[in-house]
Amino acid sequence: MAGNSATASVKANARSTNGRQALFWKRFKKQKLLHLFVGLGIVFLLIFSYSPMFGILMAFKDYSISSGIKGIFTSEWVGLAHFEEFVNDYQFGTIVRNTLVLSLLKVLFTFPAPILLAILLNEAKNLRFKRFVQTVSYLPHFISWVVVVGISFSFFSADIGVVNKALMGLGVIDKPLAILTNPNYFWGLSVGSAVWKEMGWWTIIFLAAIAGINPSLYEAAQMDGAGRLARIRHITFPGMKGTIVVVLILTVGSILGGGLVGSNFEQAFLFGNSINNPTSEIVQTYAFKVGLKDGRFSYAASIDLIQSVISVILIFSSNAIAKRTSGSSLF
Amino acid sequence: MNRFGKKKLLLATLAVVLVLALLSACSKNDAGNQGASGEPSPNPSSESAPSAKAPIELSLFIDAPWYPVKEWKGPVAEKITEKTGVKLKVTVATDDKQLPLMIASGDLPDLVFTYAQVDRLSDSKLSYPWNELIAKYAPDFKIDDTRIAIHTMDDGNFYTVRNSFATQEEMAKSKYSLGSDGNPGIAVREDILKELGNPPIQTLDDFLKVLGMVKAKYPDMIPLTMDKEWIEQYFLQQSGVEGLLDGWYERDGKVDYVLRQPETLDYFKFMNSLYRNGFILAENFAYTNDQIDDQYATSGKAFAHSHTVSVADSDNIKVKNSGGSYTFKLLPSALSDKTISVSSGLGFAGTFITKNNKNPEASIKFIQYLASDEGKKLTMFGVEGEHWTWNEEGYPNLKYDPNDADFVNGNGIKWWYLYNDGVTEGMLSYVPGTQKTQALMDRKAFTVYKPALGLIQTQPDSPEKTLKTKIDEMVKNEKVKIYLAKSEEEAVANYENMVKNAEKLGLQKLVDWANETYQKKKDLFK
Repeated sequence: MAGNSATASVKANARSTNGRQALFWKRFKKQKLLHLFVGLGIVFLLIFSYSPMFGILMAFKDYSISSGIKGIFTSEWVGLAHFEEFVNDYQFGTIVRNTLVLSLLKVLFTFPAPILLAILLNEAKNLRFKRFVQTVSYLPHFISWVVVVGISFSFFSADIGVVNKALMGLGVIDKPLAILTNPNYFWGLSVGSAVWKEMGWWTIIFLAAIAGINPSLYEAAQMDGAGRLARIRHITFPGMKGTIVVVLILTVGSILGGGLVGSNFEQAFLFGNSINNPTSEIVQTYAFKVGLKDGRFSYAASIDLIQSVISVILIFSSNAIAKRTSGSSLF
Repeated sequence: MNRFGKKKLLLATLAVVLVLALLSACSKNDAGNQGASGEPSPNPSSESAPSAKAPIELSLFIDAPWYPVKEWKGPVAEKITEKTGVKLKVTVATDDKQLPLMIASGDLPDLVFTYAQVDRLSDSKLSYPWNELIAKYAPDFKIDDTRIAIHTMDDGNFYTVRNSFATQEEMAKSKYSLGSDGNPGIAVREDILKELGNPPIQTLDDFLKVLGMVKAKYPDMIPLTMDKEWIEQYFLQQSGVEGLLDGWYERDGKVDYVLRQPETLDYFKFMNSLYRNGFILAENFAYTNDQIDDQYATSGKAFAHSHTVSVADSDNIKVKNSGGSYTFKLLPSALSDKTISVSSGLGFAGTFITKNNKNPEASIKFIQYLASDEGKKLTMFGVEGEHWTWNEEGYPNLKYDPNDADFVNGNGIKWWYLYNDGVTEGMLSYVPGTQKTQALMDRKAFTVYKPALGLIQTQPDSPEKTLKTKIDEMVKNEKVKIYLAKSEEEAVANYENMVKNAEKLGLQKLVDWANETYQKKKDLFK
């Protein structure tokens, strides 16, 4: 008897699993196209992000490039020797400080800038003006950093730079500012140029969020006597909150690369020179130098691995904080 | 509103795309034109050449972003192709990281010409050993023992032989071989010197004084502009420093890092005084291309120009070609009784036949031709009869000015020296009457040969190599702080700090290793 009921329940289970499976496939078929999209993304990730990860092995090994890809597996284990070497490097403190300060400054300034611009643009009454500003502000996004740095040379060079010439001509300064070479200017230069280049681009996503707000809310508020600022504070801003939080979490996750505007490496590499090196050398440029120029791949891999681990910790903790404080989160 | 916005966005995007397409079309056209004008010229000549066979094309990567010739064309290249049946497809590096990247990705061309990666490419996994190729394909290709000894790696093979090298004996034998362009020199404006009343420049102090006078009288002028690769050498030698900052010097049979040579501090003090007095621009240490200083010098914005011994001659030609009327004069090669030039060079750059090479036989034979007397003269002086005739005294009578960079580079003279030697190259400098020739003859007086020092070479991936790279990288960052210090005390403190840093990194270990290597290898030259 007992056996019978057991088999019966097994059968029922099987039937219900079958049923669920059938349902799954039915739904899957319905969403075929969507799955195709997702699948492509997953394949992309697998090929370009996951499969190269075996290279991380070399961070713990004494790898030499002449041994080829096979050498990643065959070379000798050295444990954490490379990590120790980096931590004991005479520049370790400076490099880590530069990376952190540059990243924090960038998030601090480049994150609110597009939100502000989006709100301002939304309030602009003249459509033509609005379009014009939007176009002009996002166009720099399409210029590569190499070109931006090239342009900035003709603007800021102590000798031929337009800015220095203008300031000298106006009598504001009597000696040209070494904006491109003085280590004290590097962070400002980087943050400033990043805001200029990327602000307009990120405004698009926030404008889209604003566009999704129900216009009747504004009308109702207006009838209730809410002024402009009150409407921004109580309608526009809360309406954007979800987008802001998601973008913020993504920003914090990539903070060591420069946050949503990225480009820490490009800036440090291109604006950096031997004079402003004390503030412009960051973890990525250092890893690039020892890795590619000196050919010490193991060492470079371990340096980058440290950075990746910090980034992962940052993204998880910021997600948790966001969940607790605002209720919205990425996962 | 949204639809309207989208439309506008679409329009804007389209406009951008169109503009980009237009631009790229333009540039493509340009390239097409260049190709069209460049291609036909070699074709007829190779058709009319006696060896009617189509030349073998080999790819060559030149690991020097500044390399003045970028294409296999001109009379010298054509003549070499005619003689060897080999044509090169040349790529010049965009920066010093490109070759390491190519090595890492395994994407090497047939031939590589490099000075920075000689030890890394001297590896049987990356390149063919010359000794094997010579034994197999060119048994009559003879290379002398010193050169082989210098380039033999720990595995017993040699993978290249650097050009521009000559032993002291070879140099002594040839009276007309003066040494190459690769020696530092400073040129000053003759007209301005005259306006200042022709003050003598016989010592470093004289030079400082004159720079001060220039600064006072011509405040808009930069007293001294320096080529980014030639900032240090001239003043290092004047200060009595026996090598570059990443090199070795020898006292009483013992070797130490140049960084710790007592005279190095004097050198740093001097350089710092140049900056503190406003004689050089801070930006000069951050130049990313080597044309900026030339522009300052030849556009009349600088008084003195530091580069190689040919700087005065080549600046003068450039100024004349652009219609200027002033001239440059080379400073004496020695401005102090301490001046010394230690030649520990093992040559400049070498050619590697990579494992990707599709025709090692043709490659080694190609190099064998370049190494022949005929080949050496052809690459170095140009086509015999057309560019030079041999003087019975033992030097070429050149029919052009070797300092006319445009002519030399345009005809591909000298720069195809994938294999050559310092003696032949040194003769190119013997042009009676030029400033460079005079300077190089003067230099012979204070040049000391210590090639054994050059043999202190770190092997790739060795702990010494890592250590040395770290120290050199640190020096590269720290020395600028000494140059740009606000007071002499600060400069001295920064220097001491730099040496301390080097010692913390393990300088002594490196020096011990260097001494060991030196004792082992110095007998090669006896």
